[in-house]
Amino acid sequence: MIENTNTNAKDEAAQRLEAMQREQGPLLEVQHLKVDFTDDNGHDVHAVRDASFNVYPGQWVAIVGESGSGKSTSAMAVLGLLPGTGHVVGGSIKLEGQEISGLKGKEYDQLRGSKMGLVPQDPMSNLNPVWRIGTQVKEALVANHMDIAHEKRSKLAKALAGDEVNVKSEDDETFIGSEERPALLAAAKQALTGIGMSGKKLDNAMEFFSQEWTAGSETRWRVADDLIKAGVNDDKAWQIAKEHVTGSNMNDRIAGLLDEAGLPDAATRARQYPHEFSGGMRQRALIAIGLACRPDLLIADEPTSALDVTVQKRILDHLQTLTDSLGTAVLFITHDLGLAAERAQHIVVMYKGQVVESGPSLEVLQHPMHPYTKRLVAAAPSLASQRIISAKEHGENADALLEHKVKGEQTLEKSEHIITVEHLTREFKLPRKKEMFKAVDDVSFSVKRGTTLAIVGESGSGKSTVANMVLRLLEPTSGKVFYEGKNIADFGKAELLDFRRHVQPVFQNPYGSLDPMYSIYRSIEEPLRIHHIGDRKSRAKRVRELLDMVELPETVMSRYPNELSGGQRQRIAIARAMALDPDVIICDEAVSALDVLVQDQVLHLLNDLQAERGLSYLFITHDLAVVRQIADEVVVMQHGRLVEHATTDEVFDHPQQQYTRDLLDAIPGGKLKLGLD
Amino acid sequence: MAQSRNESTAALPGQERYVAPIDETPLQAVDSIDESAPAASMWADAWRTLRRNPMFIISAILIIFVVFVALFPGVLTKQNPNYCNLDNSLEPAKAGHPFGFDLQGCDVYTRTIYGTRTSLSVGLLSTIFVVVIGAFIGALAGFFGGWVDAVLSRLTDIFLALPILLGAIVVLQMFKTSTSIWKLVLVITLFGWVSTARIARGAVMEAKNLEFNTASTALGSTPWRNLIRHIIPNSLAPIIVIGTTSLGSYIVLEATLSFLGVGLPTTTVSWGGDISSAQSVLRTNPSVLFYPSAALAITVLAFIMMGDAVKDALDPKSRTA
Repeated sequence: MIENTNTNAKDEAAQRLEAMQREQGPLLEVQHLKVDFTDDNGHDVHAVRDASFNVYPGQWVAIVGESGSGKSTSAMAVLGLLPGTGHVVGGSIKLEGQEISGLKGKEYDQLRGSKMGLVPQDPMSNLNPVWRIGTQVKEALVANHMDIAHEKRSKLAKALAGDEVNVKSEDDETFIGSEERPALLAAAKQALTGIGMSGKKLDNAMEFFSQEWTAGSETRWRVADDLIKAGVNDDKAWQIAKEHVTGSNMNDRIAGLLDEAGLPDAATRARQYPHEFSGGMRQRALIAIGLACRPDLLIADEPTSALDVTVQKRILDHLQTLTDSLGTAVLFITHDLGLAAERAQHIVVMYKGQVVESGPSLEVLQHPMHPYTKRLVAAAPSLASQRIISAKEHGENADALLEHKVKGEQTLEKSEHIITVEHLTREFKLPRKKEMFKAVDDVSFSVKRGTTLAIVGESGSGKSTVANMVLRLLEPTSGKVFYEGKNIADFGKAELLDFRRHVQPVFQNPYGSLDPMYSIYRSIEEPLRIHHIGDRKSRAKRVRELLDMVELPETVMSRYPNELSGGQRQRIAIARAMALDPDVIICDEAVSALDVLVQDQVLHLLNDLQAERGLSYLFITHDLAVVRQIADEVVVMQHGRLVEHATTDEVFDHPQQQYTRDLLDAIPGGKLKLGLD
Repeated sequence: MAQSRNESTAALPGQERYVAPIDETPLQAVDSIDESAPAASMWADAWRTLRRNPMFIISAILIIFVVFVALFPGVLTKQNPNYCNLDNSLEPAKAGHPFGFDLQGCDVYTRTIYGTRTSLSVGLLSTIFVVVIGAFIGALAGFFGGWVDAVLSRLTDIFLALPILLGAIVVLQMFKTSTSIWKLVLVITLFGWVSTARIARGAVMEAKNLEFNTASTALGSTPWRNLIRHIIPNSLAPIIVIGTTSLGSYIVLEATLSFLGVGLPTTTVSWGGDISSAQSVLRTNPSVLFYPSAALAITVLAFIMMGDAVKDALDPKSRTA
């Protein structure tokens, strides 16, 4: 019954909002936008060929697409911040009905900040390291002549406070100052006692007030509103508000903004430097800067793609509450379909500079019509996806594989574990600190032959350190790693070489793991040379086979890494790892840097190789959705410790630990069923 | 909240469901390769950039000419640079002697031509030794780090603290009697390797931390093999750049030392020596000073321009324009 009225109220609110949006018309209207870049030879490259989309007030609109689809370029064109040689060559961009695509630099400056805000992609490089966070927020306010008017007005208001003079209505936007706040709270308490409130109820109300009434963030009318809601009569509430909310200074305002963005202890934080902040905190500071001048439109360019999923969820939840309360529309750029489906009402799919499909987000993603959208949706990993099943088509061998999964661990014989890790611990010395930092703390697990074990964790969980120790690239502080039952720490030179032959890595960064000076042929041939396998002729034959295995044409042999895309490089890295016919491949975030479609392709490739050759994978990733597609068993790590270890289905369907549940909940669009029907 | 908004029925104007006609954006295979583009290694790319740089072409023509003159001075003049007749002292230019004569009655044109060989050999030989020795020491320091780096870096600092000119004068006093250009090469190498070592150390340290080294190690490669096969090739570019640019300055240094009288003896023809002997007649016969100076300036300019062009080609990020 209560739920029913709730939904009714929500529906009504939604209807009111929609009516308002219809009446006001679109906030941003982009029509047939065309953006060109000029390359070194003076040729025009069409980055955006035809993009049209609308953003209504208070709406979240997502632009999705692969890298190079023109999604960021479109957003930057709206902001008038096209990099380098980029220029708008056609179409129109209208903000509140006004054409802005032809504006000069100065006129654009007036729009940015006050009308349109930006939350950039990379929180690491978008804050100036030599300035305090507070100074950088202040810069945004000063550049837009914000708040100075408020301070002036508040002086006037101070003179008028207490008198019977009517204060101008816009002064109701005056902020609480930190100096007046104690007096305000005292007055509120008195007023509440005055209306007969006492005991626990009074405490609760006061706690609510002291939480809500942040200096530099809450305004006079909100204070009055809160008081009225608490039962104080209108006149009294307004009198208190007018008397005690007389404006804040710049520092209050900065702290207020940072507090709004979800930074705890904002006044202290404002005096810190960017390097003292974590990635998530920096992104919150950037959100505070983007929203400092209360823009009508906030453009967020992949605002959370550099962050861990749980942090991403917290920040986006907070941003959503904040923009809803400020009535800010958000245009956000993302490559993550789940995120778009979960957060946006309207979605725009871009491909090669063109909008190929747009519409209500759930409708588009659940019933995609354009072949490209269909392809994207099919490739997007989500919780609903299943283990890629090429193994099952492999006949008997695969049946045996599946049996391994069913069998309990105790019934397995030793030889079935190809890699066993026992009580692995690794400590690092931190600069300027006495105690050692435990990156990996007593981790034990084993990888069964022919299966995939995934290690999942957020940044700093120690998962890559484990991978490096298993590869013997890093010595463990204590604990052992066994390969085929032999301790790898005991290997002599010849045995180590043999171990290297059987256990191969594929690293995260497809741009760094191939030597830029080596042609593709030399890169793939390198392991054969190191291990003195075959002669020139047979090695060339092997390289051709390997390229065929990863589905790349032979012509790439003479090319260099800088000419290939990330996915292609990653396939070359896999070909190199496969050159020696290894038993185990350790993938350290091997698909994390890739676009969904390419990621899907690489995952399928890995899976086919496993089915054909009975490879075992140790798959390190932060992305639980990918885990579901590739892994048979999952190890969840947090702060260097093993939190949970079970089969993939167990972890996904019956997670035992709170941390695992948090991780699962944080997957964007995890609960939404995307799909082709 | 988002959910409930999604459920609202009719889309807002301009936000209706839209699907682009499929023929407008034909789908391509996922992650396909452009097979038409030519293969480009870093060197091939650099060469392509160089070829189109007018600065490179001008400096290359000048350098080829200078090298030619140094190798075959006899083609341009039939006279002996050491044949001097006091009768001709400070005679102006005349047929067969386009630059005139100096105080000793030697032909300035012939001496300028023959001086090329001295300057160029000192410059080239010094650069080769400086680069080889400096790069080796720098690479060791950068690659091994730790105490090796500490020791070598302090050694570098000591040499860096010595003023090169002062050091050169002191050392050259020991070889006062020698007439060989090797003493200059030795001195320049002794004081010149430091800057190359520093650059090499930085480049190696950067290349050492790149992921492909870890990848190689995991493939079974040894640290030495990594150093030679991966790290050194990847740190060559800045070393080549500093080599090319310092070649010019070594030629200047040779001239300076010869000018100061601590370099080559007057019996060896060199621009520095000629400039030195011309200073006494600077007021009356400036042309005697002009020609060897001009030859020196043009040669040095050519090498520095070449160095700049190579730097632009190898490191496109350093380009200012």
